[in-house]
Amino acid sequence: MITAGIDLGTQSVKAVILKDGEVISRGKSFSGFDPTKAAEQAVGEALKKAKLSLSDVDYVTATGSGMDMAPYSNSTISMMGADAKAGVYLFPKARTIIDIGAEEARAVKCDDNGIMMDFVVNERCAAGAGAFIEAMARALEVKLEEMGPLSLKAERASPINATCVIFGESDVVTLIHRQESKPEIARAIFDAMADRISSMVHRLGVNPDVVLVGGVAKDVGFVASLKRKLCVDVLIPEYPEYAGALGAALVAVNRVKKM
Amino acid sequence: MKNQSEEKKYMPEISQKEIEELRNSVKATSQKVIAENIERMKKTSKNRPEAMQYFDEIANFFGQREKEIRAAKENGKKVIGYLCLFAPTELILAADAIPVRVNSGWYDTSKLGDRIVPVEVCPVVRSTIGAKMIDLSPYLELSDALISVLTCDGMTKLGEILSDCKPVWSMSLPRVKDSDQSLRFWSEEIKAVKGQIEALTGNKITRKKLKSAIELTQKATKAFRRLQEIRKGSPVIMGRDAMLVNQTYMWDDIERWTEKTEALCDELEKRARQKIWACPPDTPRVMVTGTPMIWPDNWKLPTLIEEATPQGVLIADELCSSERILYDPVGVDEWSMDDMLNAIDERYLMASTCPCFTSEDGNKDRINWLLNKVKEWNIQGVIYYVVRGCMLYAIEYTRIKKVLDRMNVPVYYLDTEYTREDVGQMKTRVEAFLEMLTARIDI
Repeated sequence: MITAGIDLGTQSVKAVILKDGEVISRGKSFSGFDPTKAAEQAVGEALKKAKLSLSDVDYVTATGSGMDMAPYSNSTISMMGADAKAGVYLFPKARTIIDIGAEEARAVKCDDNGIMMDFVVNERCAAGAGAFIEAMARALEVKLEEMGPLSLKAERASPINATCVIFGESDVVTLIHRQESKPEIARAIFDAMADRISSMVHRLGVNPDVVLVGGVAKDVGFVASLKRKLCVDVLIPEYPEYAGALGAALVAVNRVKKM
Repeated sequence: MKNQSEEKKYMPEISQKEIEELRNSVKATSQKVIAENIERMKKTSKNRPEAMQYFDEIANFFGQREKEIRAAKENGKKVIGYLCLFAPTELILAADAIPVRVNSGWYDTSKLGDRIVPVEVCPVVRSTIGAKMIDLSPYLELSDALISVLTCDGMTKLGEILSDCKPVWSMSLPRVKDSDQSLRFWSEEIKAVKGQIEALTGNKITRKKLKSAIELTQKATKAFRRLQEIRKGSPVIMGRDAMLVNQTYMWDDIERWTEKTEALCDELEKRARQKIWACPPDTPRVMVTGTPMIWPDNWKLPTLIEEATPQGVLIADELCSSERILYDPVGVDEWSMDDMLNAIDERYLMASTCPCFTSEDGNKDRINWLLNKVKEWNIQGVIYYVVRGCMLYAIEYTRIKKVLDRMNVPVYYLDTEYTREDVGQMKTRVEAFLEMLTARIDI
């Protein structure tokens, strides 16, 4: 049985193909102006890697903010539902899944079957999400992927405010004017973000195991800050940005079985 | 123009031309929104009750009811607007005046309110200010005086701002309700406002008149409670329809409203016997609580819930714009003037579940309301709705969530603004919540 999950995120589209419930390939593309086309590309890439064609796929489930625009889809699942499913599949003891994408951060509480029991989403603002790191990297004139390693070199932490991307940026400018070093400013940025995420997760309750997924999970600087703030270990899968698509593909498996 | 030389405390000088242009454009949008909302409600509800047609008409702010009130005014009647449910409408009725609630649900006027107060202020307040700036709300415009009850900070200052344009009678509300001294204080406030109502209308509130006003309202309460009672069973009415019925009470003719609501209930009970449902009986049953949701624009959350995939149905609420309006009757033992006034004092103060009160119990009355609804109305999930700037509801969330968690009732905190632009984001959240309610059974 071949199932596919497509995650139409705000910045990129991810696709995962499963054969009998095991991952056989992945595909990714930039969302851009035409998410449907981007999804076709991501699915096309995954199919090519798996040496399959679209007609081999038994069932497709879509998720993500653009899920209503998904091509080929037989059904949809909320992003939180997909997170829960993927989190428990990847780490069976996972009970709290944190997903941080480009524009949104959320945390999901789930039971041992990967069924979502509760969730929280960041408050209508991107300050706790990937876009915040991007904006701050611009202010520091470093590449996005350099931010994490840079922050790990910091010797101490300087606090900034992350209630909002715009205010955060002006706080960073203040630090620049105070001639703080780049590593320290980078660390301050991740700490501020982790603070916000940590308060959000605490509103839900920090139930171990805690799993972090989404593109931001690849940032070593943020992960270090989050572990410090949450005071628990944070598990990260090998392909964190594909968790949503994986969750959708797993839901597709269940739905085929029920058909 | 009168009083042009008189300096306004808050209201800015806007040219008549700008006022007219803004009013025409906001009014046109509003009429479109009213029509669209009703169309969507009709589409969602299979077998929509025929008796809803009356409420659809009354829901038009610029229609039949406006004309009626205008005509009544021409015949010498006074209109008294109010901003919070604490205003004793029985006294208004007893003085042969018309009570209307004038808080605004218009999104577009909240942007106008931004000219006077910062965006951090509750949008209900900003929107009501904006509506006054462009003379949009027929009921606010027709009001001869306003009763402003000092509940939250926003409402406290709203009355002050509106006093630039209308006589405003402020009623100071004690923040601790379960004490003798609070009741004594409140009782003085009620007496004072009674005097103001009598002075404005020139009508003395006699024992006989007050008795019939109380009886009229008691009859309305009976119809109101009957409607909520019917919603305990499998859905024979969609939540939005019931919410509209509840809300029209705030501006309709009370006697006629009662008659029409009883007729609706007859129809609904018949449907229940025939098992004609408004939506599949296994649709997740949702309750909403929090900031008031005011017709016509702020109909966003109930619409999302009932048009979502998977669909939900609004079964009950704890909102001062809906089920809290009339849930509690004024209970009178002896029909003496003193007894009637005491009954009014107690009903308006003690029965309220507003978060403006505080006690060591942590608003136990509100919690009891919610728990009773969950149990008796078989609620499967609660959406806790807060608009930005609505501090008291935002603060009480933690307390309410703890209680509902203990009952294993899922609750979701949804924050929003007076805007149409965040509907996409809200939809994602509402649908995830409904999916969760469904997934608790099967994914």
